[in-house]
Amino acid sequence: MSSLRAFASRLLSTLQPRRREDDLDEEIRGHLDLQVEEYVRAGMPRDEARAAALRRFGRVDSIKDEYRDLRGLPAVDAVLRDIRYSARLLRRSPGFAVMAFLTLAIGIGATTAVFSLVNRALLRPLPVERPHELVSLNNAGARGMLPMFSYPNYVDIRDRAGVFAGLVAYRFAPLSVSANGVNERLWGYEVSGNYFDVLGVRPVLGRTLSPADDAQRGAHPVVVVSFRYWQQRLGADPAAVGRPVLVNGRSYTLIGVAPRGFFGTEVVAAPDLWFPLAMQPVLENGQPQLDDRRSDTVLVIGRRAPGVERPQVAAALDRVAADLAREFPDVNQDKRVVLSAPGFIGDAMRGPLLGFMGLLLAVAGLVLLLACVNLASLLLARAIDRRREVAVRLSIGAGRAALVRQLLIESLMLSSTAGAAGLALAWWLVRAAAAIRIPVDIPVVLDLPLDANVLGFNIALSVLTAAMFGLVPALQATRADLIGVLKDSAASTERHSVAWRNGLIVVQVAVSLVLLTGAGLMWRALGHTGSMALGFEPDGAVEVSFDLRLQGYTAAQGGELQQRLLGSVRALPGIRQAALADVVPIDLHFSRSRVYAEGAVVERDTRAPMAFSSRITPGYFAAMGTRLEDGRDFTDMDDLRSTPVAIVNRALARQLWPGAAAIGRRFRIGRPASGQTDGPLVEVVGVVEGGKYASFNDEGQAAVYRPLRQSYTGATSVVARTDGDAASALALVRNAVRDLDPNMPIGSARTFDERLSVPLLPARVAALALGSFGALALVLAAIGLYGVMSYSVSSRTHEIGVRLALGAQRGDVLRMVLGEGGRLVAIGIVAGIGFAVLLTRLMTAILFGISPTDPATYAVVVTALFGVALVACWLPARRAMRTDPLDALRSA
Amino acid sequence: MNDIPPGTLTLMVLRTLEQMGPLHGYGVARRIEQVSGDRIQLNQGTIYPALLQLEQRGWIKASWGVSENNRRARFYAITRTGRRRLAAEETRWRRASEMILRFLAPEDAS
Repeated sequence: MSSLRAFASRLLSTLQPRRREDDLDEEIRGHLDLQVEEYVRAGMPRDEARAAALRRFGRVDSIKDEYRDLRGLPAVDAVLRDIRYSARLLRRSPGFAVMAFLTLAIGIGATTAVFSLVNRALLRPLPVERPHELVSLNNAGARGMLPMFSYPNYVDIRDRAGVFAGLVAYRFAPLSVSANGVNERLWGYEVSGNYFDVLGVRPVLGRTLSPADDAQRGAHPVVVVSFRYWQQRLGADPAAVGRPVLVNGRSYTLIGVAPRGFFGTEVVAAPDLWFPLAMQPVLENGQPQLDDRRSDTVLVIGRRAPGVERPQVAAALDRVAADLAREFPDVNQDKRVVLSAPGFIGDAMRGPLLGFMGLLLAVAGLVLLLACVNLASLLLARAIDRRREVAVRLSIGAGRAALVRQLLIESLMLSSTAGAAGLALAWWLVRAAAAIRIPVDIPVVLDLPLDANVLGFNIALSVLTAAMFGLVPALQATRADLIGVLKDSAASTERHSVAWRNGLIVVQVAVSLVLLTGAGLMWRALGHTGSMALGFEPDGAVEVSFDLRLQGYTAAQGGELQQRLLGSVRALPGIRQAALADVVPIDLHFSRSRVYAEGAVVERDTRAPMAFSSRITPGYFAAMGTRLEDGRDFTDMDDLRSTPVAIVNRALARQLWPGAAAIGRRFRIGRPASGQTDGPLVEVVGVVEGGKYASFNDEGQAAVYRPLRQSYTGATSVVARTDGDAASALALVRNAVRDLDPNMPIGSARTFDERLSVPLLPARVAALALGSFGALALVLAAIGLYGVMSYSVSSRTHEIGVRLALGAQRGDVLRMVLGEGGRLVAIGIVAGIGFAVLLTRLMTAILFGISPTDPATYAVVVTALFGVALVACWLPARRAMRTDPLDALRSA
Repeated sequence: MNDIPPGTLTLMVLRTLEQMGPLHGYGVARRIEQVSGDRIQLNQGTIYPALLQLEQRGWIKASWGVSENNRRARFYAITRTGRRRLAAEETRWRRASEMILRFLAPEDAS
């Protein structure tokens, strides 16, 4: 008890050293005065009395020391002393401190920012009650694992498994929503009636969906909206419950608002509205998906019943799957149910997410590692400079541990201040990233909170960094071979340290080469896309798309509207050509079909060529700028009353009829999933040039076009070409759509330049990330090289002086120093090229045809690296060259 | 200059404060010297680390007051736990010294 009190009192006084020190002084002064007065009263002269009092008191200094040792906590005091000492040292070399601070802050900041992404996507549990109890079900079969189940199978699993407190099903639905005069394309979930109850998600307003809402097909047009939607579109109106919301051409009653932060049950797709699954046929315009056991349509998540562990769940699901396989062998033969963590669209997104984030984290971590390596090598140099000081301190009895502690505290001070700055940087980066509106039609969740996980990661990273760059130099500097150091500054241990630092330089050069090569390849690829033959002309073209099906148009109404729209767009001022299509390249949305040449024998369905297929109006190729190589374009005569016709691209013509003219030939278009060749027999009337359809990587892909009038679809894209400004043409086309149907939500409205930026986005991000990290790495390597060479020159001043005195030319000295640096750089470059060749292979998918071993890129990067290295070596080399032999010899 | 037996300074300080009430450091030092009949000559400064230790253990408490020469001074007073400690120490010392005395006593006395 009393020792605890003593500790507390010591701790307290450690925290306020100044006050206690003054108190002690005053107390001792008072004591001496009293003693002096007593002596004076006894008749002693005042100055004699003063001396006597001091004698009687004992040695004031040693008393104070003893007192101080008792008063504070020696360990804490020592650390505080180290901190003050380290701060003084850092202040004395501001260049080093600033460099260290900046590189570390950038490294830690970037890594923390990437981690916050990882944290958001992989580590944070779903925003529901007791998320650890949830499991995602996957439908595994001979063809791999899919996250979707058919609704009847879901119902059977739900009713028979007996291991779940609840099993929910849901599916994504594209929506066009109108509220308060705003029409927009949003995503929603259609969910089973037990969804909210099983998840334990309670509304902030109104009520959530109940099983009753989901009991009967199409009977309950009700909707729960997200907190965000309620705030942004309904003005956070507390009276919003009971209001109608117009969705896909039909009115739904708003019954409740989901709590803030509830983003559904998938980390990658945040819905804004939730509907009863029973409304599916209505919402998706009469395309019922729920009754067919063949079509896998819903995602399934279950909550384990209390006390039931995962193995039991898996066993129960195996049993149900076996039963279902027996009862419905044509659908469920060889099917199993596999469990996975929820939130990744079954287990489908987990791998890609892990891969993508792992790569980002690896690159950021690599650069941080480089920063550490650099600092380690700088600290090593400083440590060697301080060896004499250290050796003296060791020889007068300072413990090695105390010295290492001081050096580590210095590192920790650097890394923790840099870590704090890094956190700020990460916060800024994350906000900047969240502000980027990814032009993709997927409801991506992009709030990246800096929560306790991220904070903890940041702090751990700072400490780890300090250990990484501080420990080796600290141990090196305090090695116990005292005599050697005191005797001779060029002791053998130094050569050991130099080897270390040379190795670090090689690593740095190699890593920056790998990163820069990656970036260089990406830039080459991006440049290449500009000159690539796309099969269409993006300049001056715009596209506006919408979906008539979502607004409840029938085929007749839709076809009529399409024709009217085309007429009004063509009449717009400045529009040279205009046409319609269901899909427009290059887009993530595309459809592919198998094609079967008439008369050709196809042994196996999978042997038939696959072709990108789209439906277009006459004039489409002119509007796109696609060259018609043979035959004719569609005309308005090609409608349901005339012969079914098609236009194919060069690649398909060659595949179906090698070496022969395609015009006049006939073929069928089948659906790839069913493998049925039930499409009509169509006749080729034209051949167009090939191009890119789904991605810039497309090479020689087949494509087939059908007239929209012969195969209606509600998915509509207007393509228009102007001689003038694309942006203003875009606004005109948009307004033309609005004029025809004021409630029509526009899916996308972009110039082709904007459109093409989407498939290039991963490449741009990669180029930017690799480029900036690579540049950072290069700067770090240059600084490191400069440091090493400077140190080498300054420690060899004597030797250089001797050489010069013995008649060496200044050019020889220059060559010697440059040669030494050049050797390190050359080793680093060779190693780097090896790794780059291995690693850039992984980027082939976004290189758009540029070879991962593109010699030009390697040449440029290697030249640049050598150039930077030359400058970094040149400065110290010049200093060496200017060494005055007399000075050098005298000072040694 | 006579040294004090190890471990006894604590006892002496506590005893002094118990008898005299609050005292400043000089007062404690002088009092100890007086009681010992000036047989103990303290290095007076050593009283301060001792006082600090006692304060840290909560056996005495210190407060600022005004000394007889009208200067600010720290006055130390024994606390309740200090009194308990003193009683315990007293018993211990009595037993120890009795035992030592018995060892040192002439043989015929026993």
